[in-house]
Amino acid sequence: MFSSKQPRSGARENRFVRYLVLASWAFFCLAPVVWFLSIGLRPRTEIITASPIYWPTFSLDAWNMIWNDWPMAHYLRNSLLAICGSVVIDLLLAIPAAYSLARYQYRGREDIGFYILSTRMMAPAIVAIPIFFLFKHLSLLDSVWALMLIYAAVNLSVVTWIIRSYMLDIPKELEDAARTDGASDLRILLEIIIPAVLPGIITAGVIAAIFAVNEFLFTLLIASTKSAYTLSVALANFTGGSDGLIYNAIALVSFLAFTPVFLVVVAIQKHLSRGLTMGAVKG
Amino acid sequence: MARIELKNIQKDWAGVIGVKDVDLDIADQEFLVLLGPSGCGKTTTMRMIAGLEHPSSGTITMDGQIVNDVEARDRDVAMVFQGYALYPNMTIYENVRFPLRMRQVPKNEHDQKIRAAAEMVELTDYLERKPSALSGGQRQRAALARAIVREPRLFLMDEPLSNLDAKLRQSMRVQIKHIQRQLGITTIYVTHDQIEAMTLADRIVIMQAGRIQQIGTPDQIYNDPANIFVAGFIGSPPMNLIEGDLRDGTFSAPGIRVDGLPATYKGQIYLGVRPEDCQITDNAEHLRGEVFGVEPTGDMTYLTLRAGDKMIEIKANRDYRAPLGSDERVNFDTERLYLFDFETGERLR
Repeated sequence: MFSSKQPRSGARENRFVRYLVLASWAFFCLAPVVWFLSIGLRPRTEIITASPIYWPTFSLDAWNMIWNDWPMAHYLRNSLLAICGSVVIDLLLAIPAAYSLARYQYRGREDIGFYILSTRMMAPAIVAIPIFFLFKHLSLLDSVWALMLIYAAVNLSVVTWIIRSYMLDIPKELEDAARTDGASDLRILLEIIIPAVLPGIITAGVIAAIFAVNEFLFTLLIASTKSAYTLSVALANFTGGSDGLIYNAIALVSFLAFTPVFLVVVAIQKHLSRGLTMGAVKG
Repeated sequence: MARIELKNIQKDWAGVIGVKDVDLDIADQEFLVLLGPSGCGKTTTMRMIAGLEHPSSGTITMDGQIVNDVEARDRDVAMVFQGYALYPNMTIYENVRFPLRMRQVPKNEHDQKIRAAAEMVELTDYLERKPSALSGGQRQRAALARAIVREPRLFLMDEPLSNLDAKLRQSMRVQIKHIQRQLGITTIYVTHDQIEAMTLADRIVIMQAGRIQQIGTPDQIYNDPANIFVAGFIGSPPMNLIEGDLRDGTFSAPGIRVDGLPATYKGQIYLGVRPEDCQITDNAEHLRGEVFGVEPTGDMTYLTLRAGDKMIEIKANRDYRAPLGSDERVNFDTERLYLFDFETGERLR
């Protein structure tokens, strides 16, 4: 007890070095975010200058511009709808699929598992054109529902594999006990398995949401007008406007797109690291 | 009421035999212990009775009804697992309640049944805790409460005490036997611990390599082993099995000579002697050996003698002591010697 209150000088130095290294790393990672925010909250005239400006004038020009001149709220709504919807679809499909892959014995189970994962192995550009025509014939082009389906399809494999690896960790005895206690397979899934893998389900959902936020190619392909634009595509559009490059608005939208994901990741980071490594090692 | 019959049960996985030719008849209210080394098929046999595995052939009958195709959840058996298998997201109260909910027991009876079961295993003060907040012994008692709460027709216990320390194991053993007698529910108990088997069982079934070696009361198994495997498995230390030559009623092996055995057998055999059937006396004639080890345990002393290249275990008095390497002479109780066939291991006498 006493030794921990009065650390030896060696231990103290050691701790100092450790904090110094961690602080440098944190600065290295967070400085661009601060820089973004600083650019987003200054007037356009102070962005490209001959010498750097360390204390720029505070201005809400960009903020007003993205909300008033641009349909920012609309893009944000599209993003949220497509992302949340896709995560719900993923979880509804992935939980039973993962349970089946983790527990039932049937011919071709491993092949099916590999097939599911293999959808993740090719470059998205390969399937871009077929997907475009598919959605065209389904009359789903330029719709948020189409984006929802695409995000769900792209992330389904990862979500399934993460949840499956969590399910493999649950002792079989637990299900045997529930079975002899009189529970049906569906009851076992709902009352025993899902509560036990809840951290895995949350992790998989957040990872899917992050991937969906960053999805660009398919969104650009499907969303041909502003009615289906999401934040990531809207962001790209700022660069090509007739007003020239609007860097402060770009920076501010980037910051807005980044912040919610960042906060969620911070909130669940313990589970997240476990989920990522499990998906990697056990997959 | 539950009378269980297993007829010609066989279980194999893609040609690998797990259980073979198992015939068992378990009486109502009986405490039956399946005993054997790991991989002998005892747990598989129990899981087939529970309905968690399906036999490859043969029939399982409960109270006259063939249950091969009855799902585990419809067999009305309660199982206690080695790893406790408590549902981690539920409190102990919810754990114990789970089988009641699943079996549509009227809700107004739940609380009273749960408290009665908890009281029986002395766990009333812990009902609101999660399993992770309990010790190993408490978790095992919670698992037991979950099994007894709905008064099933059959208890199945799969090595329920093997994760507990020795002292706790002893007290839980007494508790399990007491509860089983109190409820009068037929119980099948799997273990590899012969002490548990001897102390708990009405009858013991000894299994090895998927087959039943012997079925009998603990006394029968101990005093009348059917073959060399049973003889060597039961007893602590186990029976000494000495390889030697039998001719004209005289058994001889390096350092060992025993007269007066039946002259009907001859040739190579195994002689079986329990450690407690040996007497150390100065003029003894059966065994001369060199003291290899002396292990006082408090209530008795284990003596290991070396005769030729064979080690012989002997239970000696609590105050017996001898220097290592000294000579010692031992007589066997000739009434309690066992003879086993050298090839088949079957008991000859």
